[in-house]
Amino acid sequence: MGNLKTDEIASVLREEIGRFESGIDVREVGRVLEVGDGIARVWGLSGVMAGEMVEFPGGITGLAFNLEENSVGVIILGDYLKVTEGDEVKSTGRLLSVPVGDAVIGRVLDPLGNPLDGKGPVVTAHRRPVETLAPGVAERSPVREPMQTGIKAVDAMTPIGRGQRELIIGDRKTGKTAIGIDAIINQKNSGVKCFYVAVGQKDSSVAVAIDTLRKHGAMDYTTVIVSGASTAAPLQYIAPYSGTAMAEHFMYNGQHALIVYDDLSKQATAYRQLSLLMRRPPGREAYPGDVFYAHSRLLERSAKLSKELGGGSLTSLPIIETLEGEVSAYIPTNVISITDGQIYLQPDLFFAGQRPAMNVGISVSRVGGAAQTKAMKKVAGGLRLDLASFRELEAFAQLGTDLDAATQQRLDRGYRMVELLKQGQYAPMDVVDQVLSIYAGTRGHLDDVKREEVADWEKGFLTFVRDQVPELRAAIVQSNELSAESERQLEAAIAEFKRQRAAQGSGEARQLAGAR
Amino acid sequence: MMHASQEHSTQATPRLNVGAERVAKVYAQAIIEAADRNHCRREVLDELASIVRDVLPAAPKARAVFASPRVTPEEKAAIIDRMAKGRVLPTTLHTLQVLARHDRLGIIAEVVAAAERLSDTLDGRRQAVFTTAVPLDAAEQERIVSAVSKSLALTLAPTFVVDPAVLGGLVVRVDDTVYDQSVATSLVRLGGQLKQRSIRAIQNGEFKWEI
Repeated sequence: MGNLKTDEIASVLREEIGRFESGIDVREVGRVLEVGDGIARVWGLSGVMAGEMVEFPGGITGLAFNLEENSVGVIILGDYLKVTEGDEVKSTGRLLSVPVGDAVIGRVLDPLGNPLDGKGPVVTAHRRPVETLAPGVAERSPVREPMQTGIKAVDAMTPIGRGQRELIIGDRKTGKTAIGIDAIINQKNSGVKCFYVAVGQKDSSVAVAIDTLRKHGAMDYTTVIVSGASTAAPLQYIAPYSGTAMAEHFMYNGQHALIVYDDLSKQATAYRQLSLLMRRPPGREAYPGDVFYAHSRLLERSAKLSKELGGGSLTSLPIIETLEGEVSAYIPTNVISITDGQIYLQPDLFFAGQRPAMNVGISVSRVGGAAQTKAMKKVAGGLRLDLASFRELEAFAQLGTDLDAATQQRLDRGYRMVELLKQGQYAPMDVVDQVLSIYAGTRGHLDDVKREEVADWEKGFLTFVRDQVPELRAAIVQSNELSAESERQLEAAIAEFKRQRAAQGSGEARQLAGAR
Repeated sequence: MMHASQEHSTQATPRLNVGAERVAKVYAQAIIEAADRNHCRREVLDELASIVRDVLPAAPKARAVFASPRVTPEEKAAIIDRMAKGRVLPTTLHTLQVLARHDRLGIIAEVVAAAERLSDTLDGRRQAVFTTAVPLDAAEQERIVSAVSKSLALTLAPTFVVDPAVLGGLVVRVDDTVYDQSVATSLVRLGGQLKQRSIRAIQNGEFKWEI
C-alpha cells in the first residue's frame, strides 16, 4: 500500500487557495414545502425554467417538473429521504446533463452518469443534455445499412437497419432481454457502440446481464445504465433519456450506436407514478395524457443521420412487456405505433421449444428490408410469408389425416425451417453462415433430413463450408451478394457435404456392424 | 455551516399555506385597486396592518371566531360591523366585510401581507433581507442599503437579520434571488474546488506514490 506525498498535496492546495477568488454567489432559491415519494413541492424559485436542474442541500439534484402559480413541483434525482421540509433549494440555470464520450464505454452507470461499478469516477470533459430535440427531416437519410443481430429468425424475417426502432414485445419470460443481449454481443467486431438501459429490472437480473456481456467480451464496447426496481421513480423515468444522450454522442460524431431499453413499460409506470403524485390529470389506465409523447420523443431520437452530418446512426430496440399477450393495452399500442416494426414473442412457442419464440405472422420490420444484404434478401425473400402460411396449414392438418403429397411436402419443409430457425442463447451467427443455412432450408435440401437432426446437419454443413470451400464464403463476404456462380458452388458444396455425411453415416454403421 | 443557515431560513419564514397564499393574492389585488380608486392605499393598508398586528393578538378569541366554520358568514359580518363601523375608513370596512361574507377572515394575515408585497411591487420597491454575522449600526445599515440599491438599481424595503452562521460578509435576499458574499459560502466553495483539484491531480498522475 503506497502513500501520497503529503507535501506535494499541500503545495497543490496552497496554490489553489492562492488563486481562489471569492466572488459573489448569486443564486435563485426556494424552500421545500413538502417532500415524499421522490417529489418535492417548492415555494419560491419564481424564475426557474421547466426541466431546469435544481440543487438541494448535500448536492442532491432535482428537476423542475411542474411550474405552478405559487409553487414548483420538483422530481428528486437521488436520495429523497435526505431532503426535509424547509430545506433551501437552489436553481442552477442548467439543464440536466450526463457525461458522454469514450469514457462511459465499458462502464455501469446510474441515470445521472455516476459510476455503479466501483471503477472510479467517469473522467470526461464532454457532457450532453439529457433531453434534446430529435433530428429533423432534413438531417436524416433513409435506413440502408444492416444492423445484424446475429439471430437467424430476426435477420432473415424482420431485418433491422441502422437507425431503425424495432420493438421487442411479449409476455414475461419469453426471451425479450435475450434478443437485446444477443444483438449487443453480435456487435463485437462491427464498431457499433452499445447501450443497455435497465429500467425497473430486478438488480439480480441486471447483474446476470452484465456478467453475460462481460463473459462474451461485450463490455469492451457497451455501457450499462441501471435504474433498478428499488430506485426512485424519477431516476427510472429519466434513465432512457440519459442512455440516449450517451448514445447520441456517437451518432453525432459519425459513429454507429445501438441502444436497448429494457423495458419501456416500467418507465411508463414510473412516469405514471410521478404524474399522479404531481397531480397531473390521469387518462387511460391512469397514465398521464403525455405518456405517448414521453415515448415518441425518446424513440424519435434514434435516427440515421444524413451524410453532411457524418452519417452516424442510433438504432434502438425498445422492449415492452405485455400482460397475457394483450398487445392492445395502452402502452403496447403506443409504442407499436411509434416504432418501425415489432418482434412479437409468444409464450406457447417459447415453451414448445422454439427459441427465439418469435411469432412470424405478426412480427414485422417496416424499413429493415432496404437494409438487408442482397444475399440474405435473395435466400430469405418469401420466408416470412411461407412460415406464416405453414403455421396455418399446420393447424389445419391437425384436423384431418388425409393430406395430398404437395401439402405434406409443404408441411415437411415448414417443420424443417422451424427447426433451422431455432438458435441458442448468446450464440449469434455470422450473416454469411445465416445465408448458407437458410439457403439450404428454403431450397429444400433439408427435406430428407430428419427433423431432430436438422441442428446437427446445419452445424456440420457450416463447418464443412468453412474448412473445405472457404472461397465460397469469401466470395459472399466480399460481394455481400449470392451471385449465380456462388449459388452453383453452394449447390455443389451441399451435394458434396451430403455425400460425405452419408458416407460417414454408413461408415459408422459398418464400424458398428464390424464391432458386433 | 450549510445546515445552520438552513435552520435559520426556516425560522425566518414560518410554515406556508400555499392555498391560502394563492387566495390571498386575489384579495390583495382587489384591495389595492379599490383603495387606489379612493386614493387611500397607504391608509387602508396601515389600518389593515394594525388590525392584524394589534387588534387580533389582543383578542385571541376573535381570531378563533373568524376562522371557525361554525360561525356563519352573516354573523361574522355583523361582528365586523359592531367592531369597526365608524372607526376605520369605508374601504377598510368594506374589505373586512367582503372577507367576512366570503368566509375568508381566517386568512386575513396572509391577505394583508400579500397586499403589502403587491403595494411594494407597484411602487417599485422590493423587500430585501440583509443577513450579517454581527449586528450593524444605523449608519452601516444605511450605507449598505444604499450601495446595494444602487448596484441592483432597485428601491429596497430592508429587513436586517443577524445570523452568526454566515461567519462574515453579507447575504442579501431580494425576492427569490440571493446575493451571497458570506465567508461561510466562500469556504464551502473553496472546499469544493480543492476537492475537485485534488481529484483531477490524482487522475492526471500529478502526485507520485511513495511505496
